[in-house]
Amino acid sequence: MKKETLEFLEAHQSETPSKWREEAEWRRDNWSWLRHSQKIAVKVLVQMKQEGLTQKALAERMDCTQQYVSKILKGKENMSLDTLSKLEDALGISLIYDEQVVSPSMVAEEVFA
Amino acid sequence: MTFDKILDNDTLWAVRYEDMADNALQTLFEQWSDPEWLVDFFLANMADLESYFKITDINQAIYDTIDDNQRIQCLILDISPEADLDKIFRPLENSRTGEMLLGREKARIKERPRHVSWLRIYAIKLEPGCYIITGGAIKLTHTMGEREHTLAELAKMEQVRNYLIDNQAIDADGFVDFLSELQ
Repeated sequence: MKKETLEFLEAHQSETPSKWREEAEWRRDNWSWLRHSQKIAVKVLVQMKQEGLTQKALAERMDCTQQYVSKILKGKENMSLDTLSKLEDALGISLIYDEQVVSPSMVAEEVFA
Repeated sequence: MTFDKILDNDTLWAVRYEDMADNALQTLFEQWSDPEWLVDFFLANMADLESYFKITDINQAIYDTIDDNQRIQCLILDISPEADLDKIFRPLENSRTGEMLLGREKARIKERPRHVSWLRIYAIKLEPGCYIITGGAIKLTHTMGEREHTLAELAKMEQVRNYLIDNQAIDADGFVDFLSELQ
C-alpha cells in the first residue's frame, strides 16, 4: 500500500480494538453446536411469530424464566436435550432437522467471485 | 469515521462509523448470525425471496444465510498474507472492466448448493490488492436501487469514498499516472 494512504488510515484508526476476530474465532471454534443452537432459535422464532407468542408466554409454557428464553433465542445457548424437549412440547413442533454439513475449509479465492 | 485493520499486512480495512460500537465487518458477522435479526429481515423481505429466488421456505433461507456467513467468517480469518484480494473483490458495476479511482467493489460466495448466495460484502478499492470494507447486505433483488437497505449501502460507499477524497487519503495524481501506464 502507498505510504500516504497507510499513514492516513493508521492516523485515523479506531480508539478501541475491534472484537471481530475474537468473536469470529469463537463462532468457528464452537460451530459444531452453535449452528444447531442458531437454527433451533430460528425455528422457534418463526413458530412464535406465526402463533403470536411472546417470550413471556413461551417461558410460562416451558416453566422457565423469560431471561432464559431470551438466551435461547439469541442462538448462543448450548441447550440440553431436556431443554430441547421442553421447547418442542411448548411449541408442538419438532426441532430436529436434516441439513448439509458445511465445511469452512476452502480457500478464499476459490469461494468468492 | 475511523478505520480498523482487518489483516495484519495492511491490505484489508473496515470502516467504523461514528454511531457504531464496532466496524462494518463485525456488524455484518453479528447480524448474519443473529437469529432474531435474520427472522425479522426475512419476514420483511419474504416477497423478494419468493419472486427473485423462488424460495418459500423462510427457515431454509435463514439456515443458508447462517451457513454462508460462517463460511465467509472462516475464509476471512484464514486469508494468508500472500492472498490476492483482487480475486476476492469484483467491481460493483458488472459492466466495469477498467480501474477507477476508489472504485466500488463487492465480494460474494461463488458456489453454494441450491441457489446463488445473496450475501454481499461491499468495499472501496484503495489501490490494487487493498480494500476498505464499507458494509454489506442480503441482496434479494436484481439491483441495489430497488430496496432501502441496499440503497443505504450505496450511500455508505459514496460517503466513505468522498471522505477519503476530501481528506486526501489517496494520491489522485498518482492514480492518473498509474492509469496512463496501463494504456
